[in-house]
Order: sequence, then structure tokens, then C-alpha cells
Amino acid sequence: MAPLETAVSSPMEAVTIHFAPKTGSEEEWNEAYARLADYFRAYRLHNRIRRTQLILETLRRAADAHEIDPKRSPTSHAIEQARAMLREWLGQIYQGMELTESQIEGSGRLGFHLCDGPGRWPHFFIDRDNLPPDMAEAMRSAIRTSGPRLQVSKMTPRPIDLGLFDDGEEEGEEGSVSSTLRYLILFIIITGVLATVYWLTR
Amino acid sequence: MNTSPPSSSSESNNSSRLTPLQTHAGIPSLATTRLRRTTFFSFVFLGTVVGIWLMFLMLDVDGVTWYEAALLAVFVPLYYQLNVGFWTALIGVWMMNRPKPDPLDLNRTITNDDLEAPLNATTAIIVPVYNEDVTRVFEGVRAVYNSLQRTGKLEHFDFFILSDSDDSNKWIEEEAAWLELCRQLNAFGRIFYRKRRTPINRKSGNVSDFCRRWGKRYRYMIVLDADSIMAGSLLVNMVRIMEKNPGVGIIQTFPKQIGADTLLGRVMQFAQALYGPAFIAGLNYWQCGEANFWGHNAIIRLAPFIEYCALPPLPEKVPFGGHIMSHDFVEAALMRKAGYAVRLLYTDEGSYEEGPPTLIDTLKRDRRWCLGNMQHFWLLFAKGWHPISRLNFYHGIMSYVSSPLWFLFLVLGTVTASTGQGMMGQQATFAGQLLLGLTVMFIFLPKMLILMDEVLTGRLFKPFRLRLLTVVSSLLDTFIFAFMAPIMMIFHSQFVVKTILGQGVRWVAQRRKLGTGIDWREPILTFGSTAILGLGWGALAFFISKPFLLWISPVLIALVVAIPFAIMTSSTRSLQRFGLFLTPEELYPPPVLQALEEHLDEVKDRPKMQPELEQRFGLVQVCLDPYVNGLHVSLLRRRKNPHHSREYFIYLSHKLISQGPNSITSRELTAVMYDADIVTHLHYELWSSSEDTLAPFWKLAIRQYNLIAPNPFIHLLAQKEVAA
Repeated sequence: MAPLETAVSSPMEAVTIHFAPKTGSEEEWNEAYARLADYFRAYRLHNRIRRTQLILETLRRAADAHEIDPKRSPTSHAIEQARAMLREWLGQIYQGMELTESQIEGSGRLGFHLCDGPGRWPHFFIDRDNLPPDMAEAMRSAIRTSGPRLQVSKMTPRPIDLGLFDDGEEEGEEGSVSSTLRYLILFIIITGVLATVYWLTR
Repeated sequence: MNTSPPSSSSESNNSSRLTPLQTHAGIPSLATTRLRRTTFFSFVFLGTVVGIWLMFLMLDVDGVTWYEAALLAVFVPLYYQLNVGFWTALIGVWMMNRPKPDPLDLNRTITNDDLEAPLNATTAIIVPVYNEDVTRVFEGVRAVYNSLQRTGKLEHFDFFILSDSDDSNKWIEEEAAWLELCRQLNAFGRIFYRKRRTPINRKSGNVSDFCRRWGKRYRYMIVLDADSIMAGSLLVNMVRIMEKNPGVGIIQTFPKQIGADTLLGRVMQFAQALYGPAFIAGLNYWQCGEANFWGHNAIIRLAPFIEYCALPPLPEKVPFGGHIMSHDFVEAALMRKAGYAVRLLYTDEGSYEEGPPTLIDTLKRDRRWCLGNMQHFWLLFAKGWHPISRLNFYHGIMSYVSSPLWFLFLVLGTVTASTGQGMMGQQATFAGQLLLGLTVMFIFLPKMLILMDEVLTGRLFKPFRLRLLTVVSSLLDTFIFAFMAPIMMIFHSQFVVKTILGQGVRWVAQRRKLGTGIDWREPILTFGSTAILGLGWGALAFFISKPFLLWISPVLIALVVAIPFAIMTSSTRSLQRFGLFLTPEELYPPPVLQALEEHLDEVKDRPKMQPELEQRFGLVQVCLDPYVNGLHVSLLRRRKNPHHSREYFIYLSHKLISQGPNSITSRELTAVMYDADIVTHLHYELWSSSEDTLAPFWKLAIRQYNLIAPNPFIHLLAQKEVAA
């Protein structure tokens, strides 16, 4: 297969990069390129130079891997290599934080977003050789939790006796003379009103 | 201050007595309570007995037949209900206009010194959600948060979004919206998100779960619904009132309806704004320290709530038994039983909620509420309730059972008319006319008094033109409600019967906006049988007698026109441009609502993906976006035994990628989403797949995703403040 040539122009100088995979078709590697481009864009790396550098570095590693295992597609190898590079990079940043590998991967990606990595340190994304201390610190402190520390309480239902009608009584409500008198007066008034209605309608 | 639970030495679990009051601070005095209740219930009793007596005189011409006796029996609870509403409103109008302020008004317990004093209490604002519109929920939280921040008391409040969503898309969207909101507001450690894996006991279980996990950290809990909005000043005020009144366990505010965009929604919103305050003032008058809790827009004292308000399951199985669905009334009763008052706080502004947009949505909501209220039948005769708590249960049940009773009343009326035994004799005719006059007065007098109050005082609107428009709107809403009531009667009757027959209700998210417009098939299918019933009944009435047809025609006409009525009232042509059905919140929205509206408008204008991607945006994000995927994985709890279903999940994720999201069920997708390793695997597997192995859905998603979502988390939330 003919070597692919990609020319990348930067304000500084033109760089010509050779990429010549020994296995796989041009169509397959083009697909792998396009997929990697989309993948790194999903990281919101708006710096195209860094994105292109990353794509090419990943493709080179993918080409080596494809030579060993040509049954899998170049796209698959390319994403696997991107993942491996990311894991190595995050592993360095989160060293000593007692996180599992998948936690490092999940939280690490999130940490890069939360500290505005794509905007502040786009050139250092997946750069194992150059880790700005402030970026590493920002990423480490960005790991969040979704809830505060638990303070567990017991909340146990009390059984309700559904059987008998028995009202709770208000304080001081037990039948005093005055309350009986009040209700008697009320009864007389209401009976009087009803008697009037009866008289009117009889 | 004392928030510790009352001494339980004299109280066993089976105690039938109320626990003595903790303190009288915040609890109306016994003398006041007695006087108010005696006055109120005397009027109710009098009105009811007079009505029953007149009805008896009307029926008792040549002795009372069985169907006349049944008619009278059905009439009693209906007339009682009518009287309760009438006297509540009438006293409410009096309370709003009395020269001296209400001595029981909790706002009056706060002095100027209290307003200056620092807040010492910590309060959790919790928002239980279930498959809700994520943008609306989180923009609502933002509005409340910002409003609180403006009071300078934000540090005393924490926010918890408690999700029971079982739709994976919603779940992921909630996570992304939570993160973005925290990032925008710099609110990490102030706004928290919790997703329950198993939504046991629905909303009340969700709240209990919060109480068990974090309840001890806070003195108070303010419960918001997904559509609730509360102003910061009111939230701070509620905490101050609770601090000042340690005898109060729950304070319920009056949430005003907002945000309606359909005719029915606006009419309900208008009616609530105009008539609601009088009813609230009236309720406050006679409920005193035994008010109800409506489940949201309320503040709760957490210590007694945790100690005493856990809900026991009811006997028998669901739907009539089992888990208590309408938990709020029961929690209020339990709180009162524990010796703490439950109070209504009369509020003009600061507490808001949204209502259902259409008649069908109203009925769907009522189906759930009916089942919940009917369950309270178990508790009606239970030991130990305060009599007013018991009455609250009864009124809740009757709010639905009155519909089949009214239906039965009309059926028995038809039977009576068919026998030819109309009103005969001078006494019966006079009694009938008197009863009609009395009933019309009970129905319309409160409305007229409230309108008169508005015209004279300008309580809602100061400009006289707006007051007159309010009068016109009120006249029009009479027609809307006259058409609506018989339709509701038929459906509520069905709900009651279905509940008694043991038909349960699925837990579904409530629609709060019309969204895509009216689907004509839905009203036709829903109300077709109602219209046929109306026509059949009309034909029967015609053959019985023309005066009877005339008497029953308002009900029958409403049933016959149910379909066009439902369609017409679902219209977004809501007469707002004619100045009708206006509310103060529509004309002069307070800052908290204005901010919410601006943010929602901004999100509405965002570029959209293809509809199929838009519907599954959460899934697209968690699979494609490295950051959203990372967020989801980092929020998942590690599984103890992650390997037993691994192969099956890998099979499902492969199927999802190669055949698209429709190839697996919602439950399977949710199961996959709970496995952190599988979710990570899914992300890489999707990006690794060649074009020819990807489902068309994913090909489209990969092509569109980076174009539409320049930032993975902004799709759901406004960005205005961030930019500022």
C-alpha cells in the first residue's frame, strides 16, 4: 500500500508527516483517521494542530498493532490505542490516589473537563512527557462526589391501629361544665333556626 | 431550641391519644381554635340541615318511596361538601378584609429583630423527580438557588435532586444537567444529585431515603416538586418562622399556579389566583394547628418527621392497600399525632407550581390522586388521630367519592322523574324553590363576594381596567367549569369504581406542557363514551318529561360536547391577548419566575438534533461523549459481584451498537447503564466499530454529535449567566 502523506500547516512552518502502515487498505485507514478525528473532537480539543498530532501518533501505534493482529479493523486498533494512551496519561496524573483503573479512566476524563483542560491545556492532553503541575493538580482536585457524607438515621414506621375509632383528645378538653354549657347554647340556637325554617315552610 | 422528639414514656406504639403538644409556640390557643371551629361547623351544620329539611319537604308529598329515601341519603354528604366549601370561602373573604390582621398569621411571629438575626439552622431543599423534563427541573433549581443567593443566606441551604427516573435517557440527562449547573453556579458541595437504584415506595420512599441518609445533617427540609419554584425570601422566612415556633412541625405554603399556555391551564391558573386566597384564608381559619400537607412547597421539621412520620404499609394488597400513595395527608396527621402543629402559611407570592395543561392530563393526575385518597379509607377509623386530621382524610376521600354520589343523585332523580312523582302541592314547590335558591347561593355567592372584593380592593390588580377584565374572565370561567364539572363527575366516578375493584395505577411522569400540540384522537377516544352517555341520557329524559330534560340539560349538554370541549380547552389560543384570565404572575412576573422564563426560552432556541437522536440524547451522550461517559461511570457505585452478568451485558451492548437502541428493552438498557465497566466498554466499543457494523442510528449520531454539542453539558441548560 502506498504511504499516506498528510501535510499540516501551522503558522510556524509546514510539517510533512509520513504514515505508512504495512497492513490494511487505504480505505480502512481513512476510516480509522476519520473516526479518531471525531473521537478527539468529542474531547472538545479545538486546537487542530494538537488534534492532528494526536491522531497521527495514535495511527502509528495502531499500525504497529494491526501488523500483529490484522484480523481486527484499523479503526478498532486506533481507538484501543487512544484508550491505552489516555490510561497511561491519567495513570500518571492520579498516581497514589487509590482509585481503580476504571475510576481513573472515568473520573480522569471528567476531571479534565471540569478544570477546563480543553481550553487551558489543549497542548498537554495525553502528553505523558509534559505534565504541567497546575494541570495535574487541577485535575486531581476536580474529582467530585454527588452527595455529602452520609449521616444515617433510622426511620421506622410505627404501626397504626386501624381497628377502633378513638380520637386523640386535645389538652384540657375533657368535659368541663363550661364546655357543656357552650355546646348546649349552640344546640339551642341551631334548633331555634331550624324551627324557624320549619315554620316558614310548613 | 427544642427539636427533640417528645417524651415517649407515656406513649406506646398503640397509643390512641395524641402526644401532648411540645410547646404552644406556633400552635393556636385552645380557646381560639374552639371558637373558630364551633363557629365554622355550626354554620356548616345549619346550612346542611336546612338543605336536607327542604329536600325532605320537597320529596315527602305522599310519603317517601325507597328511591326518594336513597335520593335524600345521597344528598346529605353532597350538601355537606357544598356547605364546607361555601363557609370556608365566606369566612376566608371575611378574614382577608377584617380590620385587624389574623392573630394566627405565622408571619406575625417574626419581628424586625428576627429579620436581622443570623440564621442558625441548616435546611435541605429536596426535589424528588421521576422522568421529568430535565431542563425545567434544573432551570427551576437554578432560579431558586439564585433567588436564595440574593438573600445572602445561601450558605444555610443545600439542594438535593433525588431521582427515581427509570428512563435511562432522563437519568443521563439529569446527571449531565446536575454537573453543568454545579459548574456554572460554582455549587459543588451545595447542590447534590442522588439516583435511587430501586424506587421503593415511589415519592414518599424517595423522601424517606433522603431522611435516612442525610436527615440528621439538617434541621429542616423543604420539599419541592419537579415543577415547584420558591423565592429565596420566602424560603428564608419559612426557616425563621420554624425557628420562632418550635411547636410547628410542618408549614405548608399556598403554591400559585404558573406557566400555563393552554386555555384550560390558564383558566385554572386564573381561578386559583382569584378564588384561592379566600379558600386558603378560610381553611386557615378553621384548620388552625391541624392543617394539611400537600406534599410540596412546604417546610418540615426533620427530627420529628424522621421519628414519627415513617409510613406503615396498609393492610391488603395494592391498589387499595399496600404502600400509601397520597403520603402527604398521612404525614401531616402523624406529625400532629406526635404533638407538632401543621400550619398553613398564607402567602401572596413566592410559592409556585405548574398545573396540567389539558383536561386529559388533569384526569390522569386525578386518577392517581383518587387512588391515593381512597386508600385513606383505611385510616379514617384508625386510633389516635386528631379529629380534624380524621376530617381531613374524610374530605380527601369525599373530593372523589362525591362524584359517584352526584352521579347516583342524578340517576335517582331520573328514576323519580320517570315515576311521574314531580313536586306536587304548594309546600313541596315552595321547598323546592327555596332549596334551588339556597343551592345557587352556596355555589355562586362566594364567587360574587370574591369578585366584589377584587373590584373594591384591587387585591390582584390595581388598574381598574384589569379589575373589570377579571370580572369578565370570572364570568367566562363559570361556563368552563360548568362544562367541566359533569365530565369530571363521570371520570371520577369511574376512578372510584376502578379503585374499589382493585385496579391499580402505573407511576407515570406528569405532563406539564402541551409540547407537540393536540392529538385529536386522544380526546375522541377518551370522551367518546361520555358523549354517547350524554346523548342516551338526553333521549331518556326527553321521553320522561320535557321539564325534567330542562332540569338535567346543563349536565347532559356538557357530556355531549365533551370532545370539542376537551379539544378547545387544550388550545394554546388562551385568550391572553384579549386580557382574559390574566394573573399577576403573568403580567408582572417576580424575579424568580422571570429568570426561569428567560433561561427556558434560551434553551428552547438551541439547535436541535434529528428527532430520533433528540429523543435519546442521554443515551447518545453517555455512549459517545468521553466526558458524559466519565461522569456517569464516576457516579455509579461499584458493584459487589460484577461478573455474574457480564457476558449478558456485553451481548446487550453489542446488540445496542449493531442494531440500534430499539433492539433492546428499556429495562435491559437500564441494567446495562448500571454497570460501570460495561458503560466504559460501550463507549470504546462504539467508537471502535467500523461503519459497516454500526446501526444507522449510531452512524447518524457520530456524524451529528460534535456539530450539535460544542460543549457536552450545555445542551440542556442555559448559558447566559456563564457568558456574563
